[in-house]
Amino acid sequence: MIPIRAYLELLSRYLRNQQVRVAALAVVLIGSIGLQVANPQIVKVFIDRAVEGAEATSLTPLAVAFIVIAIVQQGLAVLATWVAENVGWSATNELRRDLADHCLRLDMGFHKAHSPGEMIERIDGDVTALSNFFSQFSIHVIGNALLLVGILLLLWRENAWIGLALTLFAAVALVVMVGIQTVATEWWVSVRAVRAQFFGFLGEQLGGTEDVRANGADGFMLHRFTGYLRRWLPFELRGRWAWSMLWGTNILLFSGVTILVFWLGDRFLGDGTITLGSVYLVFHYAGMLHTPLERIRGQMEDFQKAGAGIERVRRLFGIETALTDSGGVKLPAGPLRVEFDSVEFSYDDGADATAERVLHSVSFEVAPGHVVGVLGRTGSGKTTIARLLARLYDADSGTVRIDGVPAADVLVANLRRRVAMVTQDVQLFRASVRDNLTFFDESVPDEAIWHALDQLGLADWVRSMPDGLDTKLQSGSGGLSAGEAQLLAFTRVFLEDPGVVILDEASSRLDPATEELLEAAITGLLRNRTGFIIAHRLATVERADDVLILEAGRVVEFGDRARLAADETSQLSQLLLAGMEEVLR
Amino acid sequence: MNDTTTLRLMVKLVRQYPLRYAVNVVTWTVLWTLPILAALIARAYFNRLESEVGLNVPTLMGLMGGYAIFRLAVMFVGMYNDVALMFRLGATMRQNMFTRILSLPGAQAIDESPGEALSRFREDVEHVEETTSWTVDMFGSLAFTLVGVAVLWFVNAQLTVFVFLPFFLVVFLTERTGTRIRRYREQARVATGQVTEAIGEMFGSVQAIKVADAEAPMIRHFERLNDVRRRAMVKDRVFTALLESIYWNVVHVGTGLVLLVAAIQLSGGADFNVGDFALFVAVLMESAEVIHHVGMFVARFKQSGVSFERMVGLLRGAPAEELVAPVELRLEAGRTDAPVPRAAPDADFDRLQVRGLTYTYPGTSNGVTDIDLDIQAGSFTVITGRVGSGKTTLLRALLGLVTPEAGDIRWNGDVVDDPAAFFVPPHSAYTPQVPRLFSMSLRDNLLLGLAVDDGELWDAIEGAVMTPDVRAMSAGLETQVGPLGVRLSGGQVQRTATARMLVRRPQLLVFDDVSSALDVVTEARLWDRLLRSNDRATSLVVSHRHPALQRADQVIVLADGAVAAVGTAKELLETSEEFRMLWFGETE
Repeated sequence: MIPIRAYLELLSRYLRNQQVRVAALAVVLIGSIGLQVANPQIVKVFIDRAVEGAEATSLTPLAVAFIVIAIVQQGLAVLATWVAENVGWSATNELRRDLADHCLRLDMGFHKAHSPGEMIERIDGDVTALSNFFSQFSIHVIGNALLLVGILLLLWRENAWIGLALTLFAAVALVVMVGIQTVATEWWVSVRAVRAQFFGFLGEQLGGTEDVRANGADGFMLHRFTGYLRRWLPFELRGRWAWSMLWGTNILLFSGVTILVFWLGDRFLGDGTITLGSVYLVFHYAGMLHTPLERIRGQMEDFQKAGAGIERVRRLFGIETALTDSGGVKLPAGPLRVEFDSVEFSYDDGADATAERVLHSVSFEVAPGHVVGVLGRTGSGKTTIARLLARLYDADSGTVRIDGVPAADVLVANLRRRVAMVTQDVQLFRASVRDNLTFFDESVPDEAIWHALDQLGLADWVRSMPDGLDTKLQSGSGGLSAGEAQLLAFTRVFLEDPGVVILDEASSRLDPATEELLEAAITGLLRNRTGFIIAHRLATVERADDVLILEAGRVVEFGDRARLAADETSQLSQLLLAGMEEVLR
Repeated sequence: MNDTTTLRLMVKLVRQYPLRYAVNVVTWTVLWTLPILAALIARAYFNRLESEVGLNVPTLMGLMGGYAIFRLAVMFVGMYNDVALMFRLGATMRQNMFTRILSLPGAQAIDESPGEALSRFREDVEHVEETTSWTVDMFGSLAFTLVGVAVLWFVNAQLTVFVFLPFFLVVFLTERTGTRIRRYREQARVATGQVTEAIGEMFGSVQAIKVADAEAPMIRHFERLNDVRRRAMVKDRVFTALLESIYWNVVHVGTGLVLLVAAIQLSGGADFNVGDFALFVAVLMESAEVIHHVGMFVARFKQSGVSFERMVGLLRGAPAEELVAPVELRLEAGRTDAPVPRAAPDADFDRLQVRGLTYTYPGTSNGVTDIDLDIQAGSFTVITGRVGSGKTTLLRALLGLVTPEAGDIRWNGDVVDDPAAFFVPPHSAYTPQVPRLFSMSLRDNLLLGLAVDDGELWDAIEGAVMTPDVRAMSAGLETQVGPLGVRLSGGQVQRTATARMLVRRPQLLVFDDVSSALDVVTEARLWDRLLRSNDRATSLVVSHRHPALQRADQVIVLADGAVAAVGTAKELLETSEEFRMLWFGETE
């Protein structure tokens, strides 16, 4: 059911910084509820005096007081909403931030298994379910519970028997309502499931119209479409039946309590225990019971949803990164030496049983400031070498050394600053060029950005954009070609001033202008740095000092490029002869 | 879309189900006005207590019970009828949109992303569905107001005027607040969108962020967006609460006014009557609900115009009426659909001629221009060219998956008027570069409703070099494909799509670059099987790899959207610089 303890833990952790607001909320809430239950008492006095035939002058102030109290009470209720919403959103925003930070720092194995869409659901979806909880729990559960208790206490004050009867009624009503809701919830869950199936089918269809059309399957898909609708209808009917039951219960319960009040009022007025004003008061309070009971019932469902959310949030916090950050070594400035010593690696993270070894005893050594051209087919292990070097993963056995230090002994933050990587598909943020270059780091001055752009020969290019550094980019690679997106990524990297640069060339064809810019920028980027270029074009291989050729996770050739190119029996010569494209696809 | 059009579309939509709609109007009108009866019973009760007149208490208790049971019965009928009607209205719009999308050229059937299109199938349909349902409540609200005013007027005319005074104020106020609320809601929605987008982007480029050690600034950015959202959300919620409180104020201020007027009337010698007071308060409460409902309906109705517009947008040029046109829904339980037998071609294929085929992607200069092409029966034609040279576009324009701007396509010498309708089995079938499979069994994915026996199905699988893969799956042909079942590799998807094409036995097979997911050996085997088979089909293939180029009867080299050279690979190696470059890879 509801993991109360987990909930309280979370509540106390994230409400700690908001004690003043929480205290204010309590005061406002109690005040609002107090006025809400007090006002009908005025009506009672009014009725009793009017029935006794009192003077109008003694009645008018009562009517005015009633109006004033009602308006003040509504004002307090709005104020309570304002405070409660602020508390709720501040607390859950803090939770969202902590979760995002935690997940961002998890290893790539985690990110490979969880799509960005899933992360949206887990960081925002689950927490938003909780936020209703944080902000509305106070108003709906505590507030309505107080209201309920207040009403019942005042009923006891009128007459013990009436108080007892209506207290019993409230208890029975709550149990019945929650019971029916439990059944109803099950039915709603199945409606949601069958809806999800329909929309899942439809989503696939909308993405695959080309396949459907060209294979003449539109008739078939239309049949499946109606098939899904046909299966959906009975669930929808039953789901609505659940609503009807809840509403029907309300009708029966509250007509029942009215009948009860009719009887009790008649009985106790008859023996003179209570006045006519009291009977009206009881009648009015009985009607007022409806709202808190209904709200508390509704909150039970949110409680359960929030319970599931809390559980998922806790589980997410429980995941730990596979990469330890125990090393304290910091790498020096300038170009760095890179060594792979009998490195073995597989992406096996326990979840994927078919994971094969992708690197077999890979060894090579690159002198500081050298540029290595890395060649090999898709799946030969080029990207894996890059990832190990950036310590996105740790080798299963063997050692990756940078400047003679095993990668695991270097402070992760320092390593990532000193080893930079640019991938084929650069993902951009829907934000300005500046924010894309600095990762939203506002402390990077514009001069530093322009300096980097100058060094890479890109300053004129950025100046030619509509708003320079303030030009808004689209998400993904939208608005820019793959080559242009890489140019921005180069600048990102240059700003870090790394000692090792890993570059996975864009394999798609570039227009001549971009290609020219790219060539110049690569030259600027590699100046006085150790470079790894995963090459897709001959021109790139020609700028390399060394060449590393991989096949099925093994090094088949490594050495000085000029020497290998001169040797007709070398793999490199064969490759140049056969044509790059065939091999590098 | 203006209100008149919205109303016209809604009327058209419900006109298919006049009886169900009428039942809805009657039941919900009863449900809305019935509380007045309960208020009258309460009045009678207090009158009885105060002055021993009218019906006695046990009778009133019985009446109250009868009232509850009657209301319950009407409610069940109304609820059931309402959901049955709304589901059909939603299904009508969904089916009309889906049918239209399936009839449009496949590669440009939707302009929007599939996610965006899906949201129109979901949120917009639901919105219109619900608003249409609410039109019934408007009849109910009207009936309640008329009956309510009549009853109150009869009981105490002077009081009635004072009670309804605050309502005019409220209608005015909510109209003002309503637009403001919509603005705040929109701001909150935008701010929420920015937060979710930031999460998506952040985890979409998690590797780049890690490698740049940029976690901290990214999280600060995320915090800033969260804070913007908090402010927008609080504003939205507080204003909603404010609006709610206006309605409650109507009840309370109205009640206060009733007391005030009663006090004044008392001083004029009139009698104060608790029963009347109870009646007025009860009707007031109900009135607040009615006004609240009408206000929300007006807002929803305006939004329905937007929803209609978005749905009509998916119809791509078809008139708005098509969205709400009557359709056969076939919702009866137990109904199944028979598979379709394979259509036989009307004549043997002899030749395909294309002259001057031109297509440009809207808003760009990319596309193909003035393409001539001749394909003989039984031949193997390969289209090749660099990335972006227009290979896929050529296939799409030829097959009518996009609508060509110019060009003449002749099949066996006859002009093809509507390529989109013509280039389907049994004339042709097509495998796109990234084929899509659907979340159903492998068998269903291959057949897509076609009625053929297993022998023919296995022949197609064999032809697509897929037999060992299917044998290796424990459930064989019944293996569930997709996120809920087995995730096939890129190569398996390619070959499944190939088998899907082969099993239809079209006269012309069209492949777009199967090599992107097949290794060279598998690709060579695929071509050999295709070329060796007895009833050798005609093939049109986009490829840049040697196994395909070597086997081609003719190779068409595209450059910048135009034909650069035509010939066999051998000839082209001697004559075409562009082809040599493609064959040997690019050199400086």
